[in-house]
Amino acid sequence: MISKKIAFLVVALVVVLIGSACKPAPTPTPTPKPAVPTPTPKPKVTEVKLVAWTIGPDEPSYYRRDNLIDAAKRLNKKLEEEGSPYRVKLEATFETGDWGDYKSKFMMAAEAKEAPDIILSGHEDVAPWSDAGFIIALDDYIAKYKDVYDDVIPALWPACTYKGKKWAIPQDTEARPMYHSKTLLKKLGWSDDEIAALPEKVKKGEFTLYDMLEVAKEAQDKGVVEPGYGYWTRPRKGGDFYAVYFAFGGEMQDPETGKLVLVKDAFLKHLKFHYDTVFTYKTTPEGFIGTEWKDWHTTVSAADKVLFWNGGTWHWAEWTIKYLDGNEQHLWDNVGFTLFPAGEAGKSPVELSHPLVYMVTADSKYPELAFRIITEATCPELNTRHSVESGHLAILKSQLEYPKYKEAKFLSEAGYMVEYAVYQPNHAKFGPYDTILWTALSAVMAGEVTPEEALDITVEDLKKELGDEVIIK
Amino acid sequence: MKSKSTARAIPLVRVGINIRSLSAKLKSYSPAFMFMSPAVILVMLFYFLPVIVTLWISTTDMSVATFRGYRMIGLANYIRMLTSRWTPRILKNTAFYVIMTLTCFNVGMALVLALLTTHINKKVGMLFRALWLLPRITPSVIYALLWIWATADAPFGIINQLISPLGVEPRNWMMKTPWAVIILANGFVGASFGMIIFTSAIESILPDYLMAAKVDGASTLQTIRYVILPMIKWPILFVLSYQTLSLLASYEYILLLTNGGPGFYTTEVWSLYAFHLALSNYFGNVQFGYGAALAAVLVVIGIITSVIYLKVFRFRELVAEPKIEAL
Repeated sequence: MISKKIAFLVVALVVVLIGSACKPAPTPTPTPKPAVPTPTPKPKVTEVKLVAWTIGPDEPSYYRRDNLIDAAKRLNKKLEEEGSPYRVKLEATFETGDWGDYKSKFMMAAEAKEAPDIILSGHEDVAPWSDAGFIIALDDYIAKYKDVYDDVIPALWPACTYKGKKWAIPQDTEARPMYHSKTLLKKLGWSDDEIAALPEKVKKGEFTLYDMLEVAKEAQDKGVVEPGYGYWTRPRKGGDFYAVYFAFGGEMQDPETGKLVLVKDAFLKHLKFHYDTVFTYKTTPEGFIGTEWKDWHTTVSAADKVLFWNGGTWHWAEWTIKYLDGNEQHLWDNVGFTLFPAGEAGKSPVELSHPLVYMVTADSKYPELAFRIITEATCPELNTRHSVESGHLAILKSQLEYPKYKEAKFLSEAGYMVEYAVYQPNHAKFGPYDTILWTALSAVMAGEVTPEEALDITVEDLKKELGDEVIIK
Repeated sequence: MKSKSTARAIPLVRVGINIRSLSAKLKSYSPAFMFMSPAVILVMLFYFLPVIVTLWISTTDMSVATFRGYRMIGLANYIRMLTSRWTPRILKNTAFYVIMTLTCFNVGMALVLALLTTHINKKVGMLFRALWLLPRITPSVIYALLWIWATADAPFGIINQLISPLGVEPRNWMMKTPWAVIILANGFVGASFGMIIFTSAIESILPDYLMAAKVDGASTLQTIRYVILPMIKWPILFVLSYQTLSLLASYEYILLLTNGGPGFYTTEVWSLYAFHLALSNYFGNVQFGYGAALAAVLVVIGIITSVIYLKVFRFRELVAEPKIEAL
């Protein structure tokens, strides 16, 4: 008797055998198609955020920011053409506040390792910020993009150089002329020819600072201007005051050692000149330092109250845009400008320039990208629109022949002043040096001390605070 | 004569008793320590530690350029401060600013306002106190701008517009009388603090005392002088000390209004001078070491002033238990 188990197994085997015999009909083999090339996958693009801080403080200088923004867009196109995996997104700011606050903000950010990638500032910050490790040297990058940087006016590179390395790229420069009111000179009895000849007389050293004070006093005595309106300095602390020191033959830096310098004779004359304009000639009001910028600009740009005043070329644009409702013709009709006159016979006129520079910070995670943005901004087109809008001078040789730059009448007429340029030094201790000199000057202008006392205090303080970092001649 | 062993045992026993009683005392004070500990920790973190750090920085030549490579220079910053030609000028400015603002407004005007507003109709008093709070609650930059515009030269300044019809020659009041403007601007803000404290103190005086004074025939001025003022001695001490230290350390409105000018250190006070040197400068010259030394001196001046006040106001007597309860 066959067991049930064996019977089941036999039936299962039969079923399997029958099933395996029932194969589906074979699928017809398809005709092979030609191979389709696989597309190369696009590289993954990473957008990196970069930050740039810029400042005027004059409002017309907003292209310091906008040029970087446009440069970033141009850079992105180039990066795409190069097949780079990076694109940049630039966040740029523009401030119109105080220089001191702007620099303090940067300094605190840098110390907290949160500095922006690009910082715009005065060239005098190159020394302390490089010593502090806030910014990086750019020589290698400049060499890499040589074709752009060979176009920079050579005289501007010393302002970017410290301890043999380049730490910054020039953004602009300017001149600080002596302005005069043509209207008031005419009222004083000057002919049109005499007024037109004044810039040339200053250039030849035939019209000195004391000649200017004599004319200002004459204008006050004859009632052409009110007392204290013959000559206005800038109303607050700034480098312009040093133009007088340079005009009397002063120096600030020893070219061989790089040490700071004080020429006692020139500094005494610088102090005495400012004392004389306030107390001897009374052509500058007492207590003038501290006057609001707004009041100063409103008064001088009207050109009917103050006879002589010193300012910057960028002020021309600022007056036009902010104080004269775009009426630049008013300035051409009523205001003239010359170099800063020589201090005395035998000396030369001067021009104090203060180049502003772009720097790449040590906190930047993409320093080459940051540098390339600056490089894209360093071109005649972008720099000229800044120059024309804000009254700053060219930084590129090709810019001087750029049509829009050449068409700008003020830039053309003031451009020669850069040949007479003197600069404040790049030195880590320039800050304390400046504080000591400024304190002495403002004490003299306030009548607190005589020029001779101020000189003694200055020499003593320089020796105490700067030691052998300063040469006193 | 005591044996040596006994002589040795007695101090041990005495020590044992002292340790025990000390331990018992500590245990009884421990709840107090626990309650005070958050405040103590905050004071340590936000006062003592910063003071110690400031003192340490003041013995260095730390600045922007030397921030990562500063040197210890001992007392050189203090010597520089003492030998500086300008230090007496800054000290004089600071003393003038603190004394004038304190006496004319922060304590003086505050007391006057509190006394006046508590002696008139309650609602009217509250309204006046609310108006006096406006300078304090206005953002400082806007407040400063209002003062700059109000004191501006003709034809812009409101002050000129109001008083020139009276024959007063218009001028830029900020430039011509900077101290008056600074003291007024700071005083209007400072008076409200004392006004609130004094008002609260005056209103806390039991009416029985005032009634008793009235019944005895005291005039309002006599009541103020012999009843109210003595009873609010403690709040006056508090406001005086607090406002003195506050004014010594404050420079916000001076910075916004005149920035220490016009001219040469005309309104530069000690704290503003330290700020200019240590934190803000046109050419970025910030000297942390010297600024810290200036700040350290301010701390010392503040402590000395507080001690003087506590002595003058007989602080110990003020906080002692009333004698009548000790009997």
